[in-house]
Parts: sequence; structure tokens; C-alpha cells
Amino acid sequence: MTELRRYYEEIEVGEEYESPGRTVTETDIVLFAGLSGDYNVLHTDAELMKTSIFGERIAHGLLGLAIQSGLFMRATKAYATLALVGLRWKFKAPIKIGDTVRLRARVLAKRDDGKPDRGFITVQRTVVNQRDEVVQEGETDLLVEKRGAAVGTAPGAV
Amino acid sequence: MTTAATYFEDVEVGDVEVGPAMTLTEAHAALYRGLTSESPDGSGQIPALLPLVLATGLGWRTPRAPLAVLAFMSFDWTIHRELRVGETIHGRARAALKRSMREGGVIIEEHELIDQNGDVAQSGRFVFLVAKRSAARPVAPAPTA
Repeated sequence: MTELRRYYEEIEVGEEYESPGRTVTETDIVLFAGLSGDYNVLHTDAELMKTSIFGERIAHGLLGLAIQSGLFMRATKAYATLALVGLRWKFKAPIKIGDTVRLRARVLAKRDDGKPDRGFITVQRTVVNQRDEVVQEGETDLLVEKRGAAVGTAPGAV
Repeated sequence: MTTAATYFEDVEVGDVEVGPAMTLTEAHAALYRGLTSESPDGSGQIPALLPLVLATGLGWRTPRAPLAVLAFMSFDWTIHRELRVGETIHGRARAALKRSMREGGVIIEEHELIDQNGDVAQSGRFVFLVAKRSAARPVAPAPTA
């Protein structure tokens, strides 16, 4: 049987992935405002934003973060992720309506605490736009199942 | 025109804001997964970053006017335990540090997402560039979470 997920032992430091592109639309921003309740004028008032340094509405920073977590799943075969346990994240530049973002990810480190069924993997992530400008970047710490561990889990995005 | 907002000068280190609570539902999870293209797993699990997304809106609903954020610069976040459909969270934020700069000022807030039992499920630090009242621009009010 072909394994659908990759376990802790199979993931190597230095592995690199690049996701497909994803165009961020006005619909994404409106849906995200509705879901989060964050109706900041930065994201919702087109007229006011014409007078701002951005010149137009921009995507919520956390929308970019959420989109990259989905792009990670499309960048590589799913990890046997048990949980996202932490992240360190920087918002470097705005994402505007119509921008196309993609994720570049690299396995930065592995940490085995001696647990028989799990280990930590740190992934460095860079979100770039269509001009190859970095819009967001950071590191995520994932708890990933070891092969043969008798723990049920679902394919993890994050 | 100015919009009611909390400016850099209005915040004091040690100020605490507690937001209203929200119950995490299957609908929140489905909308979030649709937006991000994450696979549903049917296990009642809440996507790890979704509570943080909801808390940004909860931050808007505190008595204090929204922070006049010019830029959300960075954040560190720790997820202490997984949240599930049916659990109820609220946010608590404390102003931990202020640093005045020429264009506005930096405010670091310590945030906690607290569950229905009073336990911290997620926590971290947010770094915002905030407008000064003295140099108020027409673009600003942002969530405090």
C-alpha cells in the first residue's frame, strides 16, 4: 500500500518545496472579514484606502497566513502532522486584491525528544507575490508522527 | 474625518483588554477550510490557526476603540492544546511594551486565548506599529487582537 503521508523519519532537513500560485481576490477578503469579524477599514473601505499609503484595500495579514497553510498542503505530500505547536511570523509587505502568492518552504530543523511516536519539525516559510517580493515569512513548528506509531491523525495543513 | 480609535498615546503598559467569548462551530471550520483549501477531516478538529483568526474579530468588540494600527509587523504564537467544535474561547490582551518612533510607535501585546474552563489554549505576542494621535492619519483603526 502506498503511504499517503510522510512520517517524521522520512522528512529531511534541507528539503524544499514550492506551491502553486493562488490569486487573492476581493471575495477572499470579504469572506475573511465575515469569518473573523475584522472589518478594519484597511480591508473593507475602498474609498478611504485610495487616500492611504497603500492606495487600495489590502488583505488581512492573517488571511495571508491562512492561505499559505493551505498552499503548504499543495506544495508537498502531506506530513503525518499531529499538531501545529508554534510559529514566529513577520508581515513584510501588503497583499493586494489580484496579487498572486505562492509559498516556498524549507525544512529547517528536526528535534527528537526521544518520544517513540512523535518528533518536532521546523519549517521555514516564505510567501512571495507575482513580482517575487516577500510579503510574509516565518517559521512553523510541527509535531509529526513517527512511522509505525499507533496514533490516529488526519492530514495536517498548517 | 477621523474615526474613533485608540492611539499610541492612549495605551499604557499593563493595560488589559478582555474580549467577548465565541463558540467554535463546524460552520467556522468549514468556511475557514473552504477559504484556505485545507482538507476537512470530519473529526471535529478546529484548524489550528482559526481561533486566532476569530480572536482578531473578538478584539474589535471590546469597550476600547480599536487600536490605530498602521501595520501588523510580526507575532509569535504557541498552541498549547487542540481546540474542538463546541468549545468556547475568549481573548485577553495585555500591553507589554511601548516604544515611541518618529512615525507612530511600536506596541507589543501579550495575547491569550482562553477556553471555557479558564485554561489558556493558545498564547503569544503581537507587534504593532500604531499611529500617534498627534499625527493621526485617516487610515487606521484595526483590531486589537
